Amino acid sequence: MLIILAFIILFHITSAILLFIATIRNVWWVSKGYTLDLWYYCNSTNCYDIPNSATDKAAYLQIIQATMILATILCCVGFFVFILQLFRLKQGERFVFTAIIQLLSAFCVMTGASIYTAEHLNFQDESFKEGDYGYSFVVAWVAFPMTLLSGFMYLVLRKRK
Amino acid sequence: MPSGLIPFPFHLFSFHHPSLSRNPSHTDLRGEQREIMLSVLALTSVVLLGIASQTTAIVVYTSWERHALVGTDVRLSCSFFSWQWTSPDVTFSWHYRPDGAKEAISIFHYAGGIPYVDTKGPFRDRMEFVGNPSRRDGSILLKNVDFADNGTFTCDAKNPPDIAGSPSHVRLLVFEKVPVQAGVITGAIIGVVLGLLILIVAIYYLMRFLVARRVFSLSMSKHGRKGKGKEGSQQKQALAVTDPAKLKAAASEKKKQESRREKK
Repeated sequence: MLIILAFIILFHITSAILLFIATIRNVWWVSKGYTLDLWYYCNSTNCYDIPNSATDKAAYLQIIQATMILATILCCVGFFVFILQLFRLKQGERFVFTAIIQLLSAFCVMTGASIYTAEHLNFQDESFKEGDYGYSFVVAWVAFPMTLLSGFMYLVLRKRK
Repeated sequence: MPSGLIPFPFHLFSFHHPSLSRNPSHTDLRGEQREIMLSVLALTSVVLLGIASQTTAIVVYTSWERHALVGTDVRLSCSFFSWQWTSPDVTFSWHYRPDGAKEAISIFHYAGGIPYVDTKGPFRDRMEFVGNPSRRDGSILLKNVDFADNGTFTCDAKNPPDIAGSPSHVRLLVFEKVPVQAGVITGAIIGVVLGLLILIVAIYYLMRFLVARRVFSLSMSKHGRKGKGKEGSQQKQALAVTDPAKLKAAASEKKKQESRREKK
């Protein structure tokens, strides 16, 4: 069914876009007119390097950066693998490879978002302790079930002519 | 300098004129056109390069940040890119602005082939010139750095007649213990995970390929001794057929299930 195919592709692309937004936008934490993480802290005019980024506390931040980048890479690679498998698989076979890549991507997002939730007070600057989660954080958490669902859909789906 | 290039193309064009006045065959004319086009191309590229070399400024390169442990030696590298040849009057100068200060002080100057090292400032007896100006390297070595040496170092290089350009800054950070550098853990995790994934995929495909070959070679060793080539080849074909047959049987089962699902 072309409709199912279109829906699956749209779902996959949406989750990839959400991952890009969560990784690139520095709005994981909002406090006192500044938006922070993962790469800079910015106010309305300028962006500055995250202070103490060259210390042990930065290890958690770097892990989150790594997992978010990995999740984005895996989601994009999964898309290309899906297109490849669409043309190469024999009829009736499942898109196992794509499913595995999507599930790995979901696992990476989950790891990154969880570590951020648990440890962000430790690696953020003292002055930013009072604040709220920004939209990038929400988008990252939304991307997790989307990639998970996408992975399961590829596990269940079979190739039709 | 560019004015000296103008007479050049006239000679090129005049060289080709005599051949045109002779019997022009088909290939001669095409060759003529090609040579004229090439000469026009060469002329424009030389003129553009000449213009470009006059307009691009000198570009100075240093590191962005240097991290160092207390008591170690730090080498601050400085290099430059310039369209002109390295002149004997090339100059390097280093300035230092401590963290929190507003003004920068001059700590090093190289001119006329002689390096002048700071003898009165905060780096007296601690600085050494380790660069090679003929190779466009104006690096200095700071020995025994301390927390008071935290600050911004500015390198300015001039290569007469190419003197217009902006200097470049390098920030020195001195630590008690070596910190986690920005991006190192990130890059390491990404590299390791992606590498592992690629390795697993490669091993998977290798195993599939090897298993297929092992099946093939097993059948050869079992029935090859009996000397009956026909039997052996039949066995080979049978073994080769069963594997995809199993797959097809499973696929046809799934096809039925799938068509039921598709009807939904």
